[in-house]
Amino acid sequence: MRWIVKRALVAVLTIYIVITITFFLIRLMPGSFIEQMIYYYMNTYGYSREEAEMEVYALYNVMPREPVWKQYIEYMLGLLRGDWGKCYSTGAPVLSSLLYFLPWTVFLLSISMTISFVIGIGLGILMAYKRGSKLDSIASTFASISQATPNFILGLLLLYLFAYYYPIFPKRGSYSVMVTPGFTLEFIGSVLYHSFLPMMAYVITSIGGWMLGMRGSAIRVLGEDYVMAAEARGLKSGRIARTYVGRNAILPLFTSFAISLGYMFGGSVFIETYFAYTGIGSTIGLALSWRDYPLIQGGFLLITSAVVFSVFIADILYGVLDPRIRVGGAYA
Amino acid sequence: MVSLIATDRVTKIFEVGGMFTAKKYIKAVDNVSLELGENEILCLVGESGCGKSTLGRLMLDLIRPSSGRVLYEGKNICSLKGKEYKEFRRNAQLIPQDPYSTLNPMKKVVSSLMPPLLHYKIARNRREARKMAAELLTMVGLSPPEDILERFPCRLSGGQLQRIAIARAISVQPKFIVADEAVSMIDASLRVGILNLMLDIQRKFKTTFLFITHDLAIARYFARDRKIAVMYLGNIVEIGRTEEVIQNPLHPYTKVLVEAVPIPDPKLARERPLPKLKSLEIPSLINPPPGCKFHTRCPLAEKICKEKDPELRLVKGRLVACHLY
Amino acid sequence: MLKPTAQRPMALSKLIDALHYHIYEPLVLLSSDKRALAGLIILVVYILMAIIGPMLIPLDLTPHPEKRYLPPSWEHPLGTDFAGRDIFAQIVHGGKDVLPVAFLAGFVTVLIGTAVGIISGYIGGKLDTVITTFIDVFLTIPGFPLLLIVAVWLARSGIVINIFIIALLLSITSWAGLARSIRAQVLSLKEEAFIEAAKCLGLSKRHIVFSEIMPNLMSYIAINFMLSSVGAVYSYTGLLALGLIPYTPGNWGAMIHMAQAYVGTVTGAGCWYILAPSLTIVILQIGLVFLANGIDKIFNPRLRER
Repeated sequence: MRWIVKRALVAVLTIYIVITITFFLIRLMPGSFIEQMIYYYMNTYGYSREEAEMEVYALYNVMPREPVWKQYIEYMLGLLRGDWGKCYSTGAPVLSSLLYFLPWTVFLLSISMTISFVIGIGLGILMAYKRGSKLDSIASTFASISQATPNFILGLLLLYLFAYYYPIFPKRGSYSVMVTPGFTLEFIGSVLYHSFLPMMAYVITSIGGWMLGMRGSAIRVLGEDYVMAAEARGLKSGRIARTYVGRNAILPLFTSFAISLGYMFGGSVFIETYFAYTGIGSTIGLALSWRDYPLIQGGFLLITSAVVFSVFIADILYGVLDPRIRVGGAYA
Repeated sequence: MVSLIATDRVTKIFEVGGMFTAKKYIKAVDNVSLELGENEILCLVGESGCGKSTLGRLMLDLIRPSSGRVLYEGKNICSLKGKEYKEFRRNAQLIPQDPYSTLNPMKKVVSSLMPPLLHYKIARNRREARKMAAELLTMVGLSPPEDILERFPCRLSGGQLQRIAIARAISVQPKFIVADEAVSMIDASLRVGILNLMLDIQRKFKTTFLFITHDLAIARYFARDRKIAVMYLGNIVEIGRTEEVIQNPLHPYTKVLVEAVPIPDPKLARERPLPKLKSLEIPSLINPPPGCKFHTRCPLAEKICKEKDPELRLVKGRLVACHLY
Repeated sequence: MLKPTAQRPMALSKLIDALHYHIYEPLVLLSSDKRALAGLIILVVYILMAIIGPMLIPLDLTPHPEKRYLPPSWEHPLGTDFAGRDIFAQIVHGGKDVLPVAFLAGFVTVLIGTAVGIISGYIGGKLDTVITTFIDVFLTIPGFPLLLIVAVWLARSGIVINIFIIALLLSITSWAGLARSIRAQVLSLKEEAFIEAAKCLGLSKRHIVFSEIMPNLMSYIAINFMLSSVGAVYSYTGLLALGLIPYTPGNWGAMIHMAQAYVGTVTGAGCWYILAPSLTIVILQIGLVFLANGIDKIFNPRLRER
């Protein structure tokens, strides 16, 4: 029980730190960024000082003339209320803009991560069983290359090779403009068709990590006595692989899986931009090029919250699934 | 006359149990008082887990006692600071049980021997330290030293490593050495060599030795003409001159221990009567039996043994902790 | 192969021993692992290219629109870009931008990570709890997005962006993983018998940390230096590819930034503009990863002759 509370506190602390960082980055932008904005509004639009301040407040949730700590609390309260400011470029509220695009990214990332993880650990166990063989050697080389390749470069290459050079796949968009959204087969097909290349970019560059990680973990488990005992008892090796080796070797990878979500989000900024895919990544990418600070801030906060949350869930799952932590004793 | 090193009613309690189970306590050392003068040998014998290693480490300040004091030349080591503590630290050394893990695997032998010589300024510079390291190796019977100095521990045998450990311990010229099961992990055929080496060192430098072992035969060899102390579940139950204790054990536990030593002759061994013990179960240290800790197995136990913990009394020139006397 | 020790003068023999131990033996050990050897060769080639290349091959950035997207030829080994400039020269000059940043960032990351890990692991107690929480927090915050935000802030702040600032920036997001694993190592090393022996001998804390514990950490540190450099290359070229840091046009990340903008218009031989920087970056990464996976052999005394 105490364990869960501790992890929850760390999660909350992390989000708190992120909020604080973004707040102070905005406030501390030299050249008194906020002041500049106020003058901009006053001069370009002829607002009075108060009106200009209100505009800035709507954008950033920061009331310019109040003392810092008061601004800080206002900001936090605003975030909790759901008011994350307004996009500088579109005027639309930040949170709802982000949430509009979020499902697309979640769709793309979750499928990619699942495919990558499942195939990766399957290959990993295979490699562990056949360690030292030619298969293992080739697979390890492939896995290392996969780990080394930056995902955005692969994305660019895939885009070029298979969308332009050999136009097999569509060049842009999350679905064809000629199809109307809805639960039709046509729409779903179009979505899958358009998301194939980006998915490949994610999968190919992340599968290597899972392969090597699982291989290492499985090799360690294979050396344990209870596996030898199971083999001596005459259990079928398939069953041993799944029930004994598989379950025990996966455990340490849980937390890495959740953390890898963070890396995927990072890569999404590129990949979604290159493929003109309508997700959070491309939104942040556009926000970056337009210097739309409220949107950038909000995007970062959203992504981090998602990652923090999934790490927290992963930790709890790990605690639940690993009987050593549940029962206590010499462990921990 | 002030003793060199002494313990005054020293007790050490370890906590076991963690986040999910209730905390339990193990009393590894229970109210032990010992005194050692200069040029003395004391063998500490007992079963595994009776607290002998803990006691040894308490006397070296590698563990701090839960209650009681450890005295070096009359002063409580916990209150020593600065130069005085450095003085104590130098004079209290350890020869540990496992020769394979006591040397840093990433450092050559010479790099393990030089630092203490330089730290205590026994050698003035690195070149001198290197020379002294070579001399030390020769002293412990390893030659040619130049070859061994440049090796990593993974290339050396257990016997060689233990000699190097001994060399390292004596390099700072300590007055007190604790040898904790120093030969238990050495091949039987090499043991006598290491034991003789330690005896030579003791004779030459007049070092005080606390020799910890579970093997009575080794204790008898090392501590002949000297003293032996028998420990059981954290208590010292008998101390006396080695030959007297072994030939004529007074405490029931000592008797059992002596009877349990294997005899080489199989015929005689088969005819030997088994030691008379009430029960073969060793009580756990978490829940020790009340009164005398041995009463659950002692064939001579009486009512008082269940109630009162016996103290060490002077009996026939020895100290024995038993209600029989 | 070497003359017997007794026949050589002392200083020279020491030098030869040291060279044999630090250079010859590691090379032999590494070459048993084909991948690691390939990695080392790749790395050496890149370093040479970065140091010597710019001296041998001049960089001409004047646009020659008539030479747009020429295919590879003797004059332009990798063809030309959208403005008719030689791609090969740009790649060669890019090395001197990317490599120093990557290695410096890797070095700083390792410095911070090791220091924090050792302090937290060795001192323990409340400080350890505080630092561990800190590490956990930084481990969870997605590194690259954090980098983006700070880069954006930096760009506006008017602080001059030089190589050290960038290296520091890249390290801020990546030190946590190393710190955590070094801490775990230190915690388990603390219990080793040779550390107890060192304490019993009265050796100073400074000695124990630097002379007893650190040699046991060296393989971790070396591997992590390589991997941190890989991460730094990813982050650095990534930031450039998004146009968030000012650059000189020869830079590989900048070329990707341009390439992405022009991808629709690239035809035929122009693909070299996309392929060249991409492959250059990928090959460097692969080299570093291969080397990282094989380098721990060097630090294992069991594999040495003595």
